[in-house]
Amino acid sequence: MPLILVGLNHRTAPVDVREQLDVPDPKLPDTTIALRSIEGVDGAALVSTCNRVEAIVSTRDEDVIANIVEWLAERSSSVRTDLEKHLYILRHGDVVKHIFRVASGLDSMILGEPQIGGQVRKAFLTAQELGTLDSLLQQLFDNTMRVSKRVRTETGIGEHAVSVPYAAVELAKKIFGDLRGLQVLLLGAGEMGELTAEHLHALHVKQVFVANRSHERAVELATRFEGEAVQFDRIDEHLAKCDIVVASTAAPHYLVEPHHVKRAREARRNRNLFLIDLSVPRNINPAVAEIDGAYLYNVDDLQQVADANLELRQQKAREAEQIVVREVEIFRKRLVAQDAVPTILELQQRLESIRTSELEKCLRKMGPVTPEQREAVELFSTQLVNKILHYPILQLKDASDEPHERDALRRTIRKIFGLR
Amino acid sequence: MTFEATDTLYVALGGYALGTLAALLSLFIGAKRLQHIGLLLMIGGFAAHTAWIGTICARTGHPPLTNLPEAASFVAWLVFAFELALWIRYRVYAAVFFVYPLVLLLLTISAVVGENFKVLDPELRSNVFTMHVLFTTVGVAGLFIGLAFGLLALLQDRALKNKTRGRLWEWIPSLDICKTVSFRALAIGFSIYTIGLIAGVVWSYRTDAGLVEPRVKQIFAITAWILFGVLLQSYVSNTYRRPRTLFISAGAFVAIVIAILGIRG
Repeated sequence: MPLILVGLNHRTAPVDVREQLDVPDPKLPDTTIALRSIEGVDGAALVSTCNRVEAIVSTRDEDVIANIVEWLAERSSSVRTDLEKHLYILRHGDVVKHIFRVASGLDSMILGEPQIGGQVRKAFLTAQELGTLDSLLQQLFDNTMRVSKRVRTETGIGEHAVSVPYAAVELAKKIFGDLRGLQVLLLGAGEMGELTAEHLHALHVKQVFVANRSHERAVELATRFEGEAVQFDRIDEHLAKCDIVVASTAAPHYLVEPHHVKRAREARRNRNLFLIDLSVPRNINPAVAEIDGAYLYNVDDLQQVADANLELRQQKAREAEQIVVREVEIFRKRLVAQDAVPTILELQQRLESIRTSELEKCLRKMGPVTPEQREAVELFSTQLVNKILHYPILQLKDASDEPHERDALRRTIRKIFGLR
Repeated sequence: MTFEATDTLYVALGGYALGTLAALLSLFIGAKRLQHIGLLLMIGGFAAHTAWIGTICARTGHPPLTNLPEAASFVAWLVFAFELALWIRYRVYAAVFFVYPLVLLLLTISAVVGENFKVLDPELRSNVFTMHVLFTTVGVAGLFIGLAFGLLALLQDRALKNKTRGRLWEWIPSLDICKTVSFRALAIGFSIYTIGLIAGVVWSYRTDAGLVEPRVKQIFAITAWILFGVLLQSYVSNTYRRPRTLFISAGAFVAIVIAILGIRG
């Protein structure tokens, strides 16, 4: 498995080093071609995200590593020795395991995040379109995408939100299911509230009303969310229209009291109301939580949800790691077996030619024989050859993924059986 | 060895038993794949169950609803059919933890009682009778589904209010879906069940010259009807979250099961 990976990520390199090597989308094709044109590289793909840059190549010559490091140093305009401190170099089976883990989100800053699968896919697709993938990298690509899908489907690792705004959205889905058609009231322009409203808007809620002390800022935010700015002193009447309330103001007192919510629920014929209080000090009176059909979560509650989800992801990651280990072994065996095919064929031909020539000699010596006798001798010789070949073929198919060890085994077998 | 048509009942029972086991195991292991296996086994059981019901219809010439095993089996069949339709529509994983054991229980009753197929006395045969048994059975199946989803809605409401997650958190769909399905199933089931009961009263009047015989089956069928009515009202008035809903649901379930067990040919 002559695979090499040279790269750096958020764990090995600070952002100032990563940004020097970052490859923007429009430059990805040219950079991939440049990687492929390095001497000794047979096939190449380049994965570049905000957290990692990785050059994956197939090669028969490990000296190519030095060339790749040199190329990366040139690209980042940094001294080679400085860059080397941040690089990791993986070989053969480790490359397969690493790329399976990366595409499954197991090596991401946010464990299990789903975007990375698409980014790896894009890197390989670009290389495929450019023709820089050889058959080995093509197989690696196909298997990586399959493993990534399997991990996500079987473990559900990316299903749970691990940030406060996403946790709020996840809870909204647990209450309302489909968020389309819902109306949202955003109170204040705090960063977290803004992010939550952004996620809700991305999920096509029907309308976002924005109320802020500074009406100008409310208008600005409403424009961004294609919503409507409302006067801060008219919150009460909009409460009755909305299904989700996001409070994120700097007000030092409660803005939403139980009687507001009771009135709103009556006006909306007791439909559920989800209140998200992201402010400190809190803007929604905690007594609101006592009202039937009103679900109140403050920032600590949401953080707890996010933490619990992270724990869940870690648990799922352990299952995912087992899947990856099994898949790496399957991939390794398949490649080694493919690699051994020419030697196995030669071996079979060699022994078959010995068998047929010795069989002829034997039959000549035996004189006249019945068809049954001839068949019996032929069967004996075939079975004998098969038995002799069984273990050498097994060894060739199950050889190490280290090319040197595999070559040594192949040479030994060729020597023993007198193959050229 | 010959394969009797009635053997399909035992094949169905086996499929349901294994399917229920797989689904319940998935609850503890948390593996969706296991639940999918459970669903496939249940579908296998359902196919055999359908064949068995078809056999009864072919042999008796009327729906399989004239004695306890037939009625229990038909209710189980309908409950699973509704559950399957809802699973396809909403992908509700959690309902299976209640519905599969219920289906298994009903079919087990059917297999254990083991009465022969009952061909209805021609004198008793009428459209009103067919309407009575068919509507009450379909209504009961709808009410069972309504109860299962009502329970899910309550669990989801408690989890959201208390900010705690139980084992079922991941499997339960949104509160709105649980509530909507529960309300609709109860409303439709209750209406059909009511028509079935009225048809039963009419049929009883025609055959026995009495409106209602005060037997266990009738008393509990009417008790269940009242309790389901109260339950439905709690949805209409939006008071379904209160603890009394649980007691009413449990009472309605017990009453309907006793009414089914009270069916004799």
